[in-house]
Amino acid sequence: MKAYYNIHTIWLVMMLLTLSTYALGDIGFSGVVAVLILLSTAAIKGVFIIRDFMELKGVSLLWRVIMYGWLGTVCLAIAITYFISI
Amino acid sequence: MSTAITETEPKLLPGDLAIWFFIFMELLVFGIFFIAYAVMRIQNIEMFNQYQLTLNRELGAANTLLLITSSYFVVRAVHAIRLNNVQSCIYWLYAALGGGAGFLILKSIEYSDKFSAGISLGTNTFYMFYLSLTLFHFLHVILGMLILFAVAIKAQRGSYNSENHTGVETGASYWHMVDLVWIILFPLVYIIR
Repeated sequence: MKAYYNIHTIWLVMMLLTLSTYALGDIGFSGVVAVLILLSTAAIKGVFIIRDFMELKGVSLLWRVIMYGWLGTVCLAIAITYFISI
Repeated sequence: MSTAITETEPKLLPGDLAIWFFIFMELLVFGIFFIAYAVMRIQNIEMFNQYQLTLNRELGAANTLLLITSSYFVVRAVHAIRLNNVQSCIYWLYAALGGGAGFLILKSIEYSDKFSAGISLGTNTFYMFYLSLTLFHFLHVILGMLILFAVAIKAQRGSYNSENHTGVETGASYWHMVDLVWIILFPLVYIIR
């Protein structure tokens, strides 16, 4: 199977996503769209860490549910509280 | 390419199973902390928005870059030991420790600024969360570095090779957890408003 991406690419993408998060904060981007974009960016980076750095891709479904479930629950709960307050 | 991610995945969790239960418990605690921060913010929106602006976003972003890069170095260490390249594994582990040390230095500078301005846990609800969350994470960075250092020492003593490297994977998994938590903490406390 041809490797279409690798760990170096993932590191680079995560660095760029971090810089985009900082840039959005620096320009004072706020509101529903901002919360969605910033949390989605964090969630994408979280998926990269769980799947590719921790190497949980292909392990038992239970552990994947636990790890991705934690990430999803935390991001969703944060999003809900911010949407309530906007 | 040795570091390529292909469709052939391991069936077992990398590292010792016990570390995964520990990681799960740690994530639960941090998760509750994060949600508590977000819920408390609903009742103190103006205060949270006002004092969030006093945080040093540049240092927060730099620390995120440091932790991600450090985690990447740990991945390289794991890949190296799987290829029986012990020296390379040791090199990457110390590089990762350098990233962790950089994080601690930047965070200490940030704390120094805040403490010298008279800010403490009792200043207000926002700073209580900011300080307790980041200090709790700070302690986990220190613990993760101690684990990585112990793994590096064992690697130097020849304890790991391509057949036996559970210890390297165990230390790596814990370090990635420290990174994962910061990935949420940084936008939550420093950016989102």
